[in-house]
Amino acid sequence: MAPVRLPRVGVLLPLLRLWPWLLVLLALVAVRLSKGSGVTDVYGLLSRPFWPGSAQQEWIRAAERLGDQARLDQLERENRRLRGLLELPAAEGRQLQVAVISREPGGWWQQLVLGKGSLQGIGVGDAVVAPGGLIGLVASTTPTTSTVRLLSDPSSRVGVWVGRSRHHGLLTGLGTGRPLLRFLEKDPDVRPGDVIFSSPASTLVPPNLPVGVIQRINLDADPAPEALVQLSAPADAVDWVQVLLP
Amino acid sequence: MALLSRQPWLVATGLLVPLFTLASPGWLKLAGVPPAWAVLWLLPWALSEGRRAGSAAGLGLGLLLDALHPGPASLVPGLVLLGWWWGRMGRKAPPIQRSFSLGLLALVGTALLNLSLILQWALLSWREAAALLGRVEGLAGGAEALRQAGPQASLLALPLWRWQDLSSVGLQVLLAQTLLTALLAPMLCSLQLLFWRQVGAGWRGSSV
Repeated sequence: MAPVRLPRVGVLLPLLRLWPWLLVLLALVAVRLSKGSGVTDVYGLLSRPFWPGSAQQEWIRAAERLGDQARLDQLERENRRLRGLLELPAAEGRQLQVAVISREPGGWWQQLVLGKGSLQGIGVGDAVVAPGGLIGLVASTTPTTSTVRLLSDPSSRVGVWVGRSRHHGLLTGLGTGRPLLRFLEKDPDVRPGDVIFSSPASTLVPPNLPVGVIQRINLDADPAPEALVQLSAPADAVDWVQVLLP
Repeated sequence: MALLSRQPWLVATGLLVPLFTLASPGWLKLAGVPPAWAVLWLLPWALSEGRRAGSAAGLGLGLLLDALHPGPASLVPGLVLLGWWWGRMGRKAPPIQRSFSLGLLALVGTALLNLSLILQWALLSWREAAALLGRVEGLAGGAEALRQAGPQASLLALPLWRWQDLSSVGLQVLLAQTLLTALLAPMLCSLQLLFWRQVGAGWRGSSV
């Protein structure tokens, strides 16, 4: 019986004819193993002229602002309802837009003079806010003007709390742009960057108005831990403010 | 009659001082501090009119400017003192003509005015600190509870300008206002001094 001869070249011939397809297959395997990096890179390069431009970004930001505003309105409504249930004073009443007609953010007295006074319903002690948050309280009024004592004035004292940890303190002006916050607790859970708001326990100002950001903390101060606060509203640059009427 | 004949000018120019104080533009401020407009007005007036008119003008101006500020410190003592000093100098010493002398007087005057404020703030601070100490001693019985729960809110209030703030921020205010006023004085005070002397010479000439 003659030995059987295995076909050597005859079987390999079809494979040799398919080598371009094999290369394609290998390329596809490489793409698969590399998680499609080459493809996505090429796609990114080719599609760059059609990427979303500034117009699309503006649309998205506008939508975000709209969403945030709606959420804020909802939260305010909820807050009013809860404060009503707890019989706490209302967070804020009517707001009056007033022009700043004189400013003295430096010097011995830190104050603003506003272009409306008691004839428009402004009274001593009314809170004054600017873009960014609370800037001070009305110290005196005339029929057509009112003087605002800024939070940086050494005679200014306002009760605040830390939004994150809810620890209360007293914010006192030092004559500089950064007032001093003295905490009521011996161990306030605060850190630089915490935002402070007007205290809900305060009888002077409406609650939860943004005031500033904690910059530096001294936990060893006596008689209470202290922190320097960077005010969030630029009192030396605002031209218009809002007076919160009770 | 001398003062009466100049009353319109006295009142009109005197009323400009609080207006200028309120309307100081940002570009005319140094580190947020405006010049001492009261000094710039009072210096030529007192030099021209003598110590009584100078002191009286200082008193009136001080009362006017104090009405613009809610704080307890007053400009009246400093301005009355300056009016008296400059008035005495104007009558006793040879007439001051040089702009440099006016600048120097304004520099010293502004520094004195600010020092009078610093003194008042320091006294007020000392008084409040003493009151605070009394409250602390009154709470001595509850000291342990104080340490446990933290200090009372009434103890946290700072006594207006603290001494360390006066010596840092206060000094900065003093230097900025003194420098700015001294720079403006040679120009503004010499013109006013000329004006008051002309008005005064006219009146004296007609009354004799």
